Amino acid sequence: MDGTGKVLVAVRGLSVAYTLANGSRIPAVDDLSLAIGSEEIVGILGESGCGKSTLANALLRLLPAGAVCEQGEILFRGRNLLRMSERELRAIRGREVTFVPQDPALSLNPVLSVGSQVAEILRAHLPLGRKQRRARVLELLGEVGFVRPEEIYDAYPHQLSGGQRQRIAIAQAVACRPALLIADEPTSKLDAPLQEEIVALLAQIRRKHGTAILVISHDPAMFAGFIDSIAVMYAGKIVEIGNTAQILRQPLHPYTQALVEMAKSAVGAPVRTHFASIEGESPNPAAFPVGCRFEPRCRERMEICVQRYPPSFVPMPARPVSCFKYGE
Amino acid sequence: MQVRVRCKMSGKITWLIILLVGLHLLLLLAGFVAPYDPAAQNRELPYAPPTRLHLWDSSRFHLRPFVYPWSPVDDGYREDRSQAYPVHAFVRGDSYRFLGLFESNLHLFGVENPGKCLLLGADAFGRDEFSRVLYGGQISVAAGIVATAVTLFVGSVIGVVAGYYGGWIDETLMGTTELFLSLPWLYFLLGVRAFLPLHVSAVRTFFLLTCVIGLIGWARPARLVRGVVLSSRTRNYVSAARGFGGADFYLLRRHIAPETFGVLLTQAAMLVPRYIAAEVALSFFGLGVNEPTASWGNMLSALQQYSVLISYGWLLAPAAALFVTSVIYYLLADALHSRLESR
Repeated sequence: MDGTGKVLVAVRGLSVAYTLANGSRIPAVDDLSLAIGSEEIVGILGESGCGKSTLANALLRLLPAGAVCEQGEILFRGRNLLRMSERELRAIRGREVTFVPQDPALSLNPVLSVGSQVAEILRAHLPLGRKQRRARVLELLGEVGFVRPEEIYDAYPHQLSGGQRQRIAIAQAVACRPALLIADEPTSKLDAPLQEEIVALLAQIRRKHGTAILVISHDPAMFAGFIDSIAVMYAGKIVEIGNTAQILRQPLHPYTQALVEMAKSAVGAPVRTHFASIEGESPNPAAFPVGCRFEPRCRERMEICVQRYPPSFVPMPARPVSCFKYGE
Repeated sequence: MQVRVRCKMSGKITWLIILLVGLHLLLLLAGFVAPYDPAAQNRELPYAPPTRLHLWDSSRFHLRPFVYPWSPVDDGYREDRSQAYPVHAFVRGDSYRFLGLFESNLHLFGVENPGKCLLLGADAFGRDEFSRVLYGGQISVAAGIVATAVTLFVGSVIGVVAGYYGGWIDETLMGTTELFLSLPWLYFLLGVRAFLPLHVSAVRTFFLLTCVIGLIGWARPARLVRGVVLSSRTRNYVSAARGFGGADFYLLRRHIAPETFGVLLTQAAMLVPRYIAAEVALSFFGLGVNEPTASWGNMLSALQQYSVLISYGWLLAPAAALFVTSVIYYLLADALHSRLESR
């Protein structure tokens, strides 16, 4: 952990499952544990459908209808979010735990000026007067990189570009100086140069205000040089945790190895002849295998892999990994 | 509320709104525009036809129009040309309360006594039909507007609650809505009115009537509002606002309710003429506003007698007024609807 060493959020044994209309149960997050230190930037890396967005939503208790946190606890500063009332949660959402939405084009109300939409969050949480709020919003707009905040304040979302809208969304997220910022694929809707700007902005926010950030992405390349530690997620479980540099240089879990290899080949090849991919598909959540969930696609599968789920081994200091390659 | 939608109003809507505002001003200022008190009787002039405005007398042209008084003859009325009464603007006449605020006797136009300027003729008691159409319009249109407000209020509350909370609340409310939609409203209206006491003061009748009318029609707007709320509830910016700590009521007020305004506006423009017609229908059957208070409905009830209908055509004036009002409202509703659709 790079931060102050104090744990801000501790997820312990969390299981989230969706119940479908026909009554079948789909586990999305399964017995997952994760710790985020204050001022730490943690990345969750995984393919789509591995449950990483469900995890992000669970942290704010904003799960869609039909999804339930069945087990475990989410401790935020020692208080269990899963046992809080709606009222207590409202005081935390937007104030202490906030998020940057995936697609700011949809998460901003098209008929309200963007400035007023940032001001709304201040109004909900802080005792500021009208003028103070406006001044604060202008300050925030400057902070997220707008040169002329005054002009942006009265603009409507459709008048802004994708990158600008993403900055507005970040301004909303940091308005109340939260302790934790959840960024779910914050750059997936942007093109490459803008992605770097947004990443730099997030890094700067952490530097200035000590905000812990949880970044969710499917792209290991995005994590380099920005994120302190990575948790690799596969089929609802975390398979490997470690310092970013170490994970990218020396991945331990076969799944992580495949991901990192893929990202490298994508960067290395000047002209992409084909899209690199991991063979096979992630398992159907309705019928997860008893053993290791990556086993059907694994190049190094062993007999024991089908028998039970691998526990966490620690082959190197601070590098827990769930794979039978590292013990039995 | 700072919902500022920047858009150009289409010319058609602007014109229709100007027309409507003019029409309502005319009714609102009935006391000033109408030359006579609506209850003032002229027993010597029953069923007098509309007074003719003249510009020529036997010798020359007059810039100011003038009228000749009616004198009764065996088979009706004949103009008595012995004395002409010029029409003046801003004359003193019957007193009325201007906008219900202060006493006044100034009228837009009129002729000197004993001349009579009956622009749309007179009814069985010799009351000026033109004045009564204006005063009656006040009652009928106000009934339409108040009933619409009641309907939209009840409808939008029920629609928002059903759409936002969903589940069994939604099912119960929408079941009730189906029930109300399937009622034959005219018969229902007559039935409900039949239970209420017949002889009450005009003001109480008016409020009973509007509430009864208004409470019957909430089902359709409730359904439409529910639909809008249902779709806007799942919009990303609504869930984002929730994620930033917004409470239910805040989300409804700030993000969801404004989306229903378009539908409510269109509904209002459609419901007002329908409810005016409802008041007219009830009063026509003698179940609404009673004499001597004028309303378009009870003015038309004189025409239930066939002989009156064929002999005194000018007594259809309230029907013409109702027709014009309804057409303007429906055109507006149509224009608003197509604007909403094209968005």
